[in-house]
Amino acid sequence: MTKLLEIVDLQKRFELHILNEKEIEALRQVSFDVHEGEILALTGKSGSGKSTLMKCIYRTYLASSGQILYRDRTGSVIDLASASEHEVLRIRKTEMTYCSQFLQVIPRVPAIDVVAFALVARGCTLDEARRVTSESFERLSLPKELWDAYPATFSGGEQQRVNIARAMISRPRVLLVDEPTASLDLKTKDAVIEMLIELKKIGTSIILITHDEHTLAMMSDRSLHLENGLLKDAVYA
Amino acid sequence: MDNNWLLRVRNLTKIYGEPTLDSIHRTGPAFNTNICPKTGAVVAVNDISFDVYPGEVLGIVGESGSGKSTLVQMLYFDQEVSAGEVNFKPVDDGNVNLFELSNQKKRYIRNHLMGMVYQNPRDGLNFRFSSGGNIAEKLLMANVFHVGRIRIRGADLLTKTEVPIKRMDESPARFSGGMQQRVQIAKAIANNPPMLLLDEVTSGLDVSVQAKVLDLIRGLQQDLGVSMIVVSHDLGVIRMLTDRTMVLKHGKIVEQGLTDQILQDPQHGYTQLLVSSLL
Repeated sequence: MTKLLEIVDLQKRFELHILNEKEIEALRQVSFDVHEGEILALTGKSGSGKSTLMKCIYRTYLASSGQILYRDRTGSVIDLASASEHEVLRIRKTEMTYCSQFLQVIPRVPAIDVVAFALVARGCTLDEARRVTSESFERLSLPKELWDAYPATFSGGEQQRVNIARAMISRPRVLLVDEPTASLDLKTKDAVIEMLIELKKIGTSIILITHDEHTLAMMSDRSLHLENGLLKDAVYA
Repeated sequence: MDNNWLLRVRNLTKIYGEPTLDSIHRTGPAFNTNICPKTGAVVAVNDISFDVYPGEVLGIVGESGSGKSTLVQMLYFDQEVSAGEVNFKPVDDGNVNLFELSNQKKRYIRNHLMGMVYQNPRDGLNFRFSSGGNIAEKLLMANVFHVGRIRIRGADLLTKTEVPIKRMDESPARFSGGMQQRVQIAKAIANNPPMLLLDEVTSGLDVSVQAKVLDLIRGLQQDLGVSMIVVSHDLGVIRMLTDRTMVLKHGKIVEQGLTDQILQDPQHGYTQLLVSSLL
């Protein structure tokens, strides 16, 4: 299998200048590879560094040292830890999406457009984008009367589905998902798992954070366990 | 890669008062002041450099007095610069410093290639004209002279910015703050500029109106692909609109990066303070 991501000796330290220069070691000596088309799960207790690791890959967090080598569609290798901001924006726009635990949207944009705009940004017409979005909402059993409503007032589970739909809709090469099934009922949970597996089948590599045994068992090819910011031995499914 | 910029700013500086070497070297965040210790000159913008790429939205944050407004006002030739260069791709393929051009040429750039939306609608609109007239003024300056065509374009722009067309012939003085701001935006984009400067455009608006204006700006960016510099002290506005952000303090950039990184993993103490002060 081709290597897609190679993480080499990644460290993340938060330096809190406004708290008497307090330092928090969030990740230490983290190294691992991600292959094309695999689903890699990150497990570990709350606070073990899973989300920090994911955010470092997406460059929402700046790595303190180490490398995050990413092989893009054209075959060039980019170190996401040190690449220019424009380079990272390009990768985000065309290849990599991130689905956080919380939905952040522009106020007063209907749910359907929140998702459809992600496709429009990649050159799709609005009508076509809305059509694809409706399909995805249907599969996620998001009630139809919510489609043209504003997500700010949605329940946690409803917001989560909008969030997942938005991250998956553009069929990215790499998908980073943080707790995709946390506040969902079993049926919707399975729909999400099914959709993620379909993405994998078309070649998407997925890095997944979950505390949910069911999701983990159904989806992951491999899992990595984090403890206090350190990686424990890899487990193969 | 490095040559993909649309706007390139180098060493931009604005000093009010008598400049000395100390004005530059002994002011800024490290000295916690923007006032020259020798002459008392105010260093509003201190040696700032950055690039804006096509279609990109760059945010500038900082507290009052950090130099954000002065910076964009210089880019729009509202203020004289003390030092620095600006290159802009649509002008001689970026090979000329805009500040060295004649006033006539500068006017041309303002009228044809840039749009500006001010915090105070009175700075961007002429309240003695109707709303339609304000847009017509911008179009006339951009050499559109056909009255019928101006009228259609004006109605078009006001529709886009959700200003009722039946009020097109009224002065903006009779509009609410949010509507005035939308007329100002319509005027700023009338000539389809590749570069739009927005200075605190939602400050002073209540939240529902603010959401509408933000939504409008976001939509325009998506439809027209225009590059923007968004100046705001409101981190929410910055988060919603921008890809990259620069943080200014005492006229200097203390930190710059991807907007989500600046907001979630700020490196500089000042930015950490700003972010942790968010409601």
